[in-house]
Amino acid sequence: MYAPSIITLRQIIHEIRRAIPQGTIKDNLMIRYLFDQYRKFNTTDQQICKAKDEVTFAANTYLCYLRSSRMHQEIHDQYHGKGERSVQETANMVGFKLPHDPK
Amino acid sequence: MSLMLNAIRILNKKLIFSAPNNQLIKRSYAVARKRFYRKTGILYNDGKYEITLDQRKLKTPKGNLFVVDSEPLAFAIATEWNMQKEKIWLTSMHLTTLSNTVIDNPNNLTKYEMVEYIVNHLDSDAILFQSHENDDLYKLQVEEWDPVIQWFCDKFQVDLKKSRDMNAPVLDTETKATITRHLLSYNFECVHGYVYAVDTLKSLILTLACVERFLTPEKAASLSRLEEEFQLKKWGRIEWAHDLSQQDQEARLSSTILFIYFNSTSWLTKQKNNR
Repeated sequence: MYAPSIITLRQIIHEIRRAIPQGTIKDNLMIRYLFDQYRKFNTTDQQICKAKDEVTFAANTYLCYLRSSRMHQEIHDQYHGKGERSVQETANMVGFKLPHDPK
Repeated sequence: MSLMLNAIRILNKKLIFSAPNNQLIKRSYAVARKRFYRKTGILYNDGKYEITLDQRKLKTPKGNLFVVDSEPLAFAIATEWNMQKEKIWLTSMHLTTLSNTVIDNPNNLTKYEMVEYIVNHLDSDAILFQSHENDDLYKLQVEEWDPVIQWFCDKFQVDLKKSRDMNAPVLDTETKATITRHLLSYNFECVHGYVYAVDTLKSLILTLACVERFLTPEKAASLSRLEEEFQLKKWGRIEWAHDLSQQDQEARLSSTILFIYFNSTSWLTKQKNNR
């Protein structure tokens, strides 16, 4: 099992990879920065573990931002009007077939 | 001059076609620009961070240079710009738009005015008004909201009273003064973030609980929609209305919380030097 912070990191990377048009995270600045931060806080002493909490919270908040933005966009894309539907599309929506479709 | 040109360009492109026979009337939306850059990056200059789109520097709508104080914020904004696919949808880039508002300050607000605006929200805070018609809903509100109110009172050493009718609970001046002091301890950028968050959640208590890490952004958003969620269980949920607004609210809130974080603390730059 991975630690919760690692799971968050993986999810953030997953969201970024989905969101950017290049589709590859090679040379991605944000990812590199995230790894840096994770390494840094991994080696931090227990003394400043309050800071670690803060970082974990910030990472989760960022994940929430990425994920909610993506879902918002997906719902928007699915339902946003694109003009009038064709007869075919309307028939498909209600489960009908056109006269010339195979049965 | 360039502003004028831009306006003319938009006019030409879309705005309103009212044909003499009234057949074609279009609504006026600003046209989303195409993504004109390939790579985004950040620059460190004079203690501040700038965003680059290819070799160009990002500017605000008023034409000021876009600069932020915090490194992680700059990375997050560069990522926002990188996430735009064919068109640039500014409405989905909450961190960018918030920073734009802070840099341009189009309403010429001062920090004190904004704090006053936020604190005035406390009188009509959403979670202080609880249902008097529906006992099930009231039970749920007591269960979910009261711990947050209690946390707030303990944290700031104040006394809040809730209301079950139209009359707003009376707040003593001491409470307002305490919260005002707390908010004034933040810088200008953060107070801007607070205004945005309070407008999103309709509640200052939930906003502060979220900034202080008592609630996650998801939880805070769901608590501000408590009555809606309660009614949805009875009447049904519609994806293109309820889920859409929920995701939008979560995105707005979490981006604002990040914005307040990155502008308020220096934990990401300080902690290593102590070793």
